[in-house]
Amino acid sequence: MGKAILCACEDVTLDDVRRAFEKGHRDIESVKRYTGFGTGPCQAKSCLALIARELLRLGATPTELEPFTARPPVDAMPLAALAAIDPATLPIVPGVPLSGAHGGAQQQVAGERGRAVTTPSCQRAPGAPVRAARERAGALAASPDEPASGAPRPSSPLPGKASIVIIGGGIMGLGLAYQLAKRGTADVVVLERGYLNAGASGRNGGGVRMQWTTPTMVRLAKRSIELMRGFATELGVNVWLRQGGYLFLAPTRAQVERLERNIKVHEAEGLRTRILSPMEALEVTPELDPSSFVAAAYNPDDGTVFPWPFLYGYAQRAEALGAKICTFTGVTGFRTSGASITHVETDRGPIACDTVVLAAGAWSKEIAALAGVSVPNRPTRHEILVTESMKPWLDPLVSMLGNGLYFSQSQRGEIVGGMGDPLEPEGVEERSTLRFLARFARAITTCAPVTGGIKVVRQWAGCYDVTPDNNPILGAAGFGNFLQLHGWVGHGFMMAPAVTELMAEWMTGGRPHELFERFTIDRFSREGGAAREDFIIG
Amino acid sequence: MARLDDPRFAPDCTITFDGAQVPARTGESVAAALLAAGRTIVARSSKYHRPRGAFCLAGSCNQCLARVDGLPNQRTCRTPCRAGLVVETQNTLGSAASDLLGIVDRVYSRGLDHHRLMTWNRIANRAAVAVSRQLAGLGKLPAHVVAPFPPVREERVDALVVGAGPAGLGAAEVLVSAGAHVLLADQERRAGGRLRCRLELAGDPPLAWVGDVAGAIARADGEVALSATVTGLWTDGGLCAVLLEDGPPPRLRLVRPKRVIIATGTHAQPPAFEDSDLPGVLAARGLLVALAEHGTVPGERIAVLGSGPEADAVAARLTAAGSQVARAGAAPLRAIGRGRLASTLAAIELADGTRLDCDALAVATARAPAAELPRLLGARMTFDAGSGNFQVSAGERGRVAAAVYAAGEVLGAMDAAAAAESGRRAAEGALAEAEADRG
Repeated sequence: MGKAILCACEDVTLDDVRRAFEKGHRDIESVKRYTGFGTGPCQAKSCLALIARELLRLGATPTELEPFTARPPVDAMPLAALAAIDPATLPIVPGVPLSGAHGGAQQQVAGERGRAVTTPSCQRAPGAPVRAARERAGALAASPDEPASGAPRPSSPLPGKASIVIIGGGIMGLGLAYQLAKRGTADVVVLERGYLNAGASGRNGGGVRMQWTTPTMVRLAKRSIELMRGFATELGVNVWLRQGGYLFLAPTRAQVERLERNIKVHEAEGLRTRILSPMEALEVTPELDPSSFVAAAYNPDDGTVFPWPFLYGYAQRAEALGAKICTFTGVTGFRTSGASITHVETDRGPIACDTVVLAAGAWSKEIAALAGVSVPNRPTRHEILVTESMKPWLDPLVSMLGNGLYFSQSQRGEIVGGMGDPLEPEGVEERSTLRFLARFARAITTCAPVTGGIKVVRQWAGCYDVTPDNNPILGAAGFGNFLQLHGWVGHGFMMAPAVTELMAEWMTGGRPHELFERFTIDRFSREGGAAREDFIIG
Repeated sequence: MARLDDPRFAPDCTITFDGAQVPARTGESVAAALLAAGRTIVARSSKYHRPRGAFCLAGSCNQCLARVDGLPNQRTCRTPCRAGLVVETQNTLGSAASDLLGIVDRVYSRGLDHHRLMTWNRIANRAAVAVSRQLAGLGKLPAHVVAPFPPVREERVDALVVGAGPAGLGAAEVLVSAGAHVLLADQERRAGGRLRCRLELAGDPPLAWVGDVAGAIARADGEVALSATVTGLWTDGGLCAVLLEDGPPPRLRLVRPKRVIIATGTHAQPPAFEDSDLPGVLAARGLLVALAEHGTVPGERIAVLGSGPEADAVAARLTAAGSQVARAGAAPLRAIGRGRLASTLAAIELADGTRLDCDALAVATARAPAAELPRLLGARMTFDAGSGNFQVSAGERGRVAAAVYAAGEVLGAMDAAAAAESGRRAAEGALAEAEADRG
């Protein structure tokens, strides 16, 4: 009692909104993510204006009061209803653009930006002027006096120089900033084009698993989960790690053989992964249809997290240690001298720097092109959804090999699930499709029939940053001081805590970890290259 | 008094609520039947386990969720009563009225910052994760596997009109007279939108007009789909709309309309003062529909929040129904709960510090545009500080996208006659655009 509730679905109070605003979450997208308002069953039908009124009272500007991006469906829909749609009747090509639509939210505009043709070359185009490269890729923001899509403007001034500029305020960029600052290298600026959690770090399903195919990846994931276990106490923000395991379901014998091959690696690395028969899998998750798979692999130590607070934790601590996080600041180009980048140009002015780290996920290809550097990444949309919240019933993240279905239950009780689409074309595209809802609904109601009575409340999309061998791109490229930290093909979030720790050690004088030698961009022009990672979900 | 003493409103069936028999009227919403039976607490909130009951009575606020016939998280305000329906509260330890977990609200009386909760050490943190998972979540899994929905066949229509209130009816009238094949969809069980409140404000179209338009649509081979929610507009292979029909049996429809009129009206906005989420705080329009159609009267003493002609009409209707009505002024300070647990509304404290005893607070303040569909199509929304509401930025005659128009209150506050006229203009716009495309 005694509380003024603004969002009744999630019990968000007036004080919660005030606290978020004081912490710098001024725009509605950020306040939604920090407080959780509008994420419940009513999807802010009752509270959007109430929140805006309070933000206005607190001093928010009109552009900060744009509503968050509307997500379908506008009313909850049972999965059984969606499963009645034949996805084959819905084509993958995006619909005819609605010519009358206004610019809309930033994410939608982003989806319409230029799509450069993939070139496997990893060399800087000889003699190509940076400006021409920028035009080719489509500038990320028109010019300093034409801010992109009316985005809120940051109030803090942009530093004129920094030792290290990190492009991309996702978990990779912020994690690296924190790890660097923690090691005493705090002259770091992170540039984020939107709000915190606008990109894939705020759009992924929060799965974290050690079940990989190579010792390198198993060890990385193991270290990440270890760091996640200590995240709340080290950084003061809860990330809700729950180690309910990962259950990979194999529908064919060939898929079982894949799992058995992995298990040999896992045993050598000390993981508790084991093969389960369908009946044994039912002991873990009784709601599965045992006829939908022939065997399963289960590691009880894998788990799920809530992605958003990772970024708050890293950003807060990095800033407290002296790093600067500049949101709503887009990179527009680079100034170079010989084999070095000297300045990063932004829509708020240039920053002189010694080292640039590119950690912009699916946008890395566009930004690298601004420096005349070609990377072979193929950004590809990946769709995902969330249901109404239920009491706990599902412990592991369940993933069906073959069709790309995966789903888990969040700390708040929602089913969070996605499914890749083999027909998805390359491109930065963040709009949602009905086709995905139909495909997902058919797959999950086949795998766990009781889910037919659970209702979908929201769908969205993010981008996988896909590379030719499904491995990341690290090390310098094009320029000696242009470090790459992208190409994680949908599993960057779970790897970030460990990877950023290793990268910060290397950047502050430590020995380079094998990652930064094996996954350099020149592997694509090297005989043999790196082995292809074939255990990508979705 | 909980229901008007009128044979037209006599209960004709019984539902069960947490095992107790509750008299109800076939077809009225479960939420309305529970209100009429004096059971205002239907649920508990997700985080603090605060008492919750119906607020909007129109499907938008989701504060009245309960388990119905074994299916979790059903909006009781959208669930029609029938004999033998089994309704159970969720997310409680004990009953909804005396949920032991309500202690969370008292222990964390100054609020609980979930970001920082128990981050002192690893053991405490692990306990926080484990315990909060058990406390989180609303309903339990469905008791049974729901029957498959019939396969969806794509349908094509000349015009889809979303919302059968004054604006949607006005639009449908014009479209039908131009020979269009119209699908008029409304999520409620009856057409009419706000006309169902019987506010009878000066200039309001008569309720009989609703039947006239429905008849005209049917004669022109069109369709009025009730209990049919347009759950979204997507652009897969061109513009398509999905309709979820409540049934029985429920079914999903995939419609490809040549043009769309969005006449979705408004959502009730709950007040935002201390404890204004107490059960007994009710949206006036939803309450008046229940009163007009099922004789529901939520209490002997009712306070009305809001000013202007609509709030005056609300007060008059409730007075005519036999309640003692008082006006709550502009901005009350707080709501005061009844009894030891203080879990239903007993009074409100007004801005001047006086206490106004009431069994219910009818909220007749400004409503917010139900603009989800235009927003899905990329329509910009701007915040109007004067009205304290968002407004859809629409073009001429309400155009929000190619062949898509918004009409009526979704574009801003207007009376029912103006909304009907807005609907007609939108329909003319859509027809003219189609004509121009052909030319």
